[in-house]
Amino acid sequence: MSQTVFAPWENPEEKPLIEFRNVTKRFGSFTAIDDLSLDIYAREFFALLGPSGCGKTTMMRMLAGFENATEGQILLSGQNIGPIPPNRRAVNMMFQSYALFPHLSVWENIAFGLKRESKDKEAISARVEEMLRLTRLTKFAKRKPHQISGGQRQRVALARSLAKAPKLLLLDEPLGALDRKLREETQFELMDIQEKTGTTFVIVTHDQEEAMTVASRVAVMDEGKLIQVATPDVIYEAPNSVYVADFIGDVNLIEGRGTTEGERIRLDWAEGQPPIWATPRGPVDTDRALTFAIRPEKVSIAKDKPEDRRNLLEGEVIDIAYLGNISTYHVKIAGGQIIKAQTANTRRLANRDITWEDRVWLSFTETSGVLLEH
Amino acid sequence: MRRFSWFNATSLTLGFAFLYLPMVILVIYSFNASKLVTVWAGFSTRWYVELFQDQEFLDAAWVTVRVAVFSSTIATVLGTMAASVLVRAGRFRGRTLFSGMIYAPLVMPEVITGLSLLLLFIGIGLDRGIFTIVLAHTTFSMCYVSVVVSSRLATFDRSLEEAALDLGCSPFQAFRLVTLPIIAPAVISGWLLAFTLSLDDLVIASFTTGPSATTLPIKIFSAVRLGVSPQINALSTIMIAIVAVGVITASLITKRAAVTQARDEQAAVRATG
Repeated sequence: MSQTVFAPWENPEEKPLIEFRNVTKRFGSFTAIDDLSLDIYAREFFALLGPSGCGKTTMMRMLAGFENATEGQILLSGQNIGPIPPNRRAVNMMFQSYALFPHLSVWENIAFGLKRESKDKEAISARVEEMLRLTRLTKFAKRKPHQISGGQRQRVALARSLAKAPKLLLLDEPLGALDRKLREETQFELMDIQEKTGTTFVIVTHDQEEAMTVASRVAVMDEGKLIQVATPDVIYEAPNSVYVADFIGDVNLIEGRGTTEGERIRLDWAEGQPPIWATPRGPVDTDRALTFAIRPEKVSIAKDKPEDRRNLLEGEVIDIAYLGNISTYHVKIAGGQIIKAQTANTRRLANRDITWEDRVWLSFTETSGVLLEH
Repeated sequence: MRRFSWFNATSLTLGFAFLYLPMVILVIYSFNASKLVTVWAGFSTRWYVELFQDQEFLDAAWVTVRVAVFSSTIATVLGTMAASVLVRAGRFRGRTLFSGMIYAPLVMPEVITGLSLLLLFIGIGLDRGIFTIVLAHTTFSMCYVSVVVSSRLATFDRSLEEAALDLGCSPFQAFRLVTLPIIAPAVISGWLLAFTLSLDDLVIASFTTGPSATTLPIKIFSAVRLGVSPQINALSTIMIAIVAVGVITASLITKRAAVTQARDEQAAVRATG
């Protein structure tokens, strides 16, 4: 593989496109964004992820120019954009509600921004046609927004916001209104368009799957702060906190006290139970309260005790969630905690040998989970 | 379950008779051939013909139309501006006071409005005439416009305006190119309402008019004091027709616009797959 990986954030020479410098935003006494610093690089597909009220939409609205930072600065290509009104920013936004102009046709909606630039008619028309082709809307150019489907409206909104070739495109929950299947298709379409146009995308979403699918980097936010900013795989495999581990995907959390023993950490999590062994990512203080986080798919389940695994937990099957391609077993271990184990259903349902109330063994390797400090 | 009942039918008939019987009689007698208002002598349109040959009435009508057009246009501009500020500006200090003050003239006795305007015009030495009536009518009809427009703006999706700003519009362009076309039906019905209000106002007009400007309602009122002539009936019938058309059109526009806007916006906002 000679392909260079796209990772401008690892290159210290690279200048970021957007810089948040100690930005704080307060609405009255409520702090929406709390002393936040963040760099986003050109051509990134950057996702702001968090529960509602975490400040992600506020960040986007500050980039678009609808809100101003109370403290700190936001730079776009090195220029402070604070005093620049939204209509003079090289930033466009795709609204959650799409905000298509109901009195204008699809064509006129897409041309709307271009007409404000006093370009000549042919240039506008050529650009609109290009956008219609890109979003496969050529057939619907003459229709009004209420005469097309939700998926098509979403594409009109995208075409309209891309038409001016902004340096930065903001997407506010762009797929929230679409049903699941259409959403998945559209995610790939978005990535495709992002790649074709080379525009920097910042997407706001509360859907972690969506963020993981489309983004080059994900910022997990909570209460106006960035909790972790990393690539989707790092966020998933090596969350830096219980919050991130819990927010992204399904996770088993086991609390205990950790002790360093050579290369490894021994986690004593319950009286009279064998400890859990894990490899730390960095140096860890001895005898600290730690949480061991492990994803359900990294936990194997078996009826017979596997002899070759270091980490073993015994328990009883409480519940089985059959999802077609995978099954999740809810296993009650010592102390009453439920651990989830996921297996791919490679065999037919009838051939499955584990059922309710079975005594089972859960096992996992030393490197499959992470230790998180409190 | 809805069933016909004599009680309901009677109530309805009595109610509507109470409201419309006087007007129906007026309309019928406007087609009376006899010169005596109370004696029916067959159908005729002669009073309409005479009316249109009476220069004084025609002059008064022309004054009224001009006053109505100018005052309702100014009232629409001011009322729309007031409505957008009140709906959009969010909660600023004294917002309740401002909105209360905009709506207060709606319930203010016309005599008081008229009198205070008269005192103002005398105070600043403004010669009374068409111009002062226009000002006076603008004053009270802009409240109605702002009520109509602000109820439309309250349901207006704010992100449409933000989208326009985002795409490079100045705030004024955003209003002109996006907001105004969408709320146009409400603005038009506000204008029609203001127009009809101005058309039939007697009290405020008589306070603020001068010798040079006699509006139709003033003309009719003074003519009636010398005895009801069939001509007046004809004129009143025409005015009833104009006002009815205006009010019905305004309410139809509002209703139809509300239905289509709701559909369009819902459709544009909600994705249905």
